[in-house]
Amino acid sequence: MDLYNLREQFAESGMMMCFNGPFSHSIIEEIGTALRNHLAAENIGKAAVLDVFAVYIELAQNVRNYLSLRELGQGEASSSIITIARWGDGYAVSSGNTILKEDSALICRRIAEINALTPEELKRQYKEQMRREVQPDALGAGLGLLEIAKRSSSAMVCSVRDINDKHTFFSLAAFI
Amino acid sequence: MEQLEIQQTASTPLVSFDDSGKTLRIVGESYPENSFAFYTPVLAWLGRYLQQHAQLTVDITVTYMNSSSIKCMLDLLDALEEAFKKGSNVAIIWRHDLENPRSFELAEEFCEEVTFPFDIVALSA
Repeated sequence: MDLYNLREQFAESGMMMCFNGPFSHSIIEEIGTALRNHLAAENIGKAAVLDVFAVYIELAQNVRNYLSLRELGQGEASSSIITIARWGDGYAVSSGNTILKEDSALICRRIAEINALTPEELKRQYKEQMRREVQPDALGAGLGLLEIAKRSSSAMVCSVRDINDKHTFFSLAAFI
Repeated sequence: MEQLEIQQTASTPLVSFDDSGKTLRIVGESYPENSFAFYTPVLAWLGRYLQQHAQLTVDITVTYMNSSSIKCMLDLLDALEEAFKKGSNVAIIWRHDLENPRSFELAEEFCEEVTFPFDIVALSA
């Protein structure tokens, strides 16, 4: 494999950091720390650094929680991608992971719904979701996507591509 | 009353009870692998404490919380609110970095959820 070509592609697309593989909590933590150090050196405000970091954490933990909930945490399906790239004057944080085909429509619909919310509606939904009882077997509070939307400067973009008759590759990008 | 002392890590805050000052300190950042697993013993301790004692200050210096930690923090606020309504003397002091508006905004959102004293204090650099 020619890593030089890969590196050139990364450079062209403004890629700052990329991880591909199965990620554990400690990897999420380490990349997060590296990301913050990197951004701190870019001379941007503390709030902007924290927004990029927060979106990264929510995306990464969402992926991990989903794979664990759907028992996809082992083997090839567990391999996921997270990227942080420059995007105009801001940043794009993206995640890509395997999902079950049957979940695809629901996830994409939920993202479209959140994208359509006005800032006031978003704040209200966030508060409602905060107050909603968490199911005993839930891995998160269902707040992750709303948290990403709160910190984003434009709509999230998702895409899906079928891997086989059971699995779909799901990509989600957020812009800060 | 049993002690509560959880050491700080990169993704979990220090949680420490000081009996002499009747103060529960929460310091650091909060994005655990499993927020519910992390906060369950804290909430259990708080529940027992509030049944036996009528005074508590929760002193919080947290720069960042992920969404599931925010949910857990709300459960903590609810427990304090319930104790306050039964006449307990509870309060929160939330300290935030002046250069970190996100921590301040989070404090404001939490503050809207409760009626007991909730002070938001800027830390000088």
